[in-house]
Amino acid sequence: MIRTRAPRLLAAGLVLGTGVLTGNAAAYIDPGTGSYIIQIAIAAAVGLAFSIKVFWKKIAAFLRRTFTSKKGGGPDAA
Amino acid sequence: MPPEAPLAASFRDPAGFVFRRDGVLLRAIREPGRPHYDALMSSGLYDELAAARLLVPHEEGPAGAVPGDAYKVIRPEEVPFVSYPYEWSFSQLQDAALATLEIQKRALRRGLTLVDASAYNIQFLRGAPVLIDTLSLRRAVAGEPWTGYRQYCQHFLAPLALMALRDIRLGQLLRVHIDGIPLDLASSLLPFGSRRRLTLLLHLHLHARSQKRYEGRAVAVPRRKVSLRGLLGLVDSLESGTRKLRWRPSGTEWADYYEDTNYSPEGQTGKRMAVEAFIAEVKPGTVWDLGANVGTFSRAASAAGARVVSFDIDPACVEKSYLRVRAEKDERVLPLLLDLTNPSPAAGWENAERLSLLERGPADAVLALALIHHLAIGNNVPLGRAAGFFARAGRSLLIEFVPKSDSQVNRLLVTREDIFERYTQEEFERAFSGPFEIRRRIPLPGSGRVLYAMTRRPSQE
Repeated sequence: MIRTRAPRLLAAGLVLGTGVLTGNAAAYIDPGTGSYIIQIAIAAAVGLAFSIKVFWKKIAAFLRRTFTSKKGGGPDAA
Repeated sequence: MPPEAPLAASFRDPAGFVFRRDGVLLRAIREPGRPHYDALMSSGLYDELAAARLLVPHEEGPAGAVPGDAYKVIRPEEVPFVSYPYEWSFSQLQDAALATLEIQKRALRRGLTLVDASAYNIQFLRGAPVLIDTLSLRRAVAGEPWTGYRQYCQHFLAPLALMALRDIRLGQLLRVHIDGIPLDLASSLLPFGSRRRLTLLLHLHLHARSQKRYEGRAVAVPRRKVSLRGLLGLVDSLESGTRKLRWRPSGTEWADYYEDTNYSPEGQTGKRMAVEAFIAEVKPGTVWDLGANVGTFSRAASAAGARVVSFDIDPACVEKSYLRVRAEKDERVLPLLLDLTNPSPAAGWENAERLSLLERGPADAVLALALIHHLAIGNNVPLGRAAGFFARAGRSLLIEFVPKSDSQVNRLLVTREDIFERYTQEEFERAFSGPFEIRRRIPLPGSGRVLYAMTRRPSQE
């Protein structure tokens, strides 16, 4: 259930979010406007997730290194 | 046409254009492209991408060869056969998509960006997808969203999702929609369950809705900027969505052909030897294998020294062939999807942006093995017209005549009236003797089939 609900909640947030991301400088933009606006909303959301992912990978790599060096093994140990 | 006029497909970009001089393909960089080209070269991005075989390598052109107002001329390595996304199998389109994202990721890390994400900017060079539009890498402006985002979704993500989740044949929508599949169309065609995949929900369904919402409306300019982290996150999200799409070839008409045929082992061996002998004799640079199935004889031709474009009508066959090319790192065989009864047309502005099949020829040699009965009986093409087509397609021809007594021909005639009285070996020879000189007849053991090696008559040039 969580798997199916989470995207919908995020989607609802994004749809609402696009409304508050715009300023007052009115201008006509080409038909790609919708793409432009949703990209900003998506980038804000996934940017954070991406940072967490990169951070987690670094921790995992650090732990792996620590673990391998304690055992004194590893491919370069010879 | 003046000698240094841009090629017909090269007109959109003020930063430069592609032209030919003495048959050599060159790219002129105009003043607006200068800072971007210089940034590409000085940032190390060019070296990185060329080394990773993601960007077509180039040399800077000879001094004094700069046309008109251009700043510089470069000479990119030429792609031997230009192919289009509607001719690619699922994995070819997916690999082209992932290459585009990889390039954008590496560009962002060096302060540049891919200004567009057109599938037509990717070509298969020595077996791998590479970016051929060197000038589409530009200096990034901090905070600017990715201008190629919409195009990526339309050219890559939408067709891949439709092919994987709805029907593989929907890839052919790319042939009609030259700037990629409109997202509202993709969204309405995709199964409802596709909304459960977060990446498809965001980049296709909500993206389509957002386009609809702001279509033709004067709206406020977004004041939020996109951070580098946001851009990398966007690429990462698109990459994971693209990578998760899968299509397994099975159940199409031809994918199991070689397991379900009446060839005897001697017939297969005889055919392979005939192909090898033909290639050794003709020594063609390029071969078109028409009706190649999974590419068995394309590989025989390639092993004998040719570079082969291996066409088939069946998406499953092309996919299987490409997966093998990729696994074996085969640089000489390019499998492509093609319906010979309706080959790729000239398309785009002035019918000149995308070339038709025949405009991309002629090949030095054509293989047409176990094909003629499909054209003559399956599609009612008179033998003379078939001969005329092959004469336009290639200079030499190895073609297999399949007699009416053959079980494969019987299969074609099971549910239809036999109106093909003139489909005989004599008529075949008479029709092909017009544009071709028949050099050799090679009967295939264990069947009534005969291979013909032919050369196009000089009058057909």
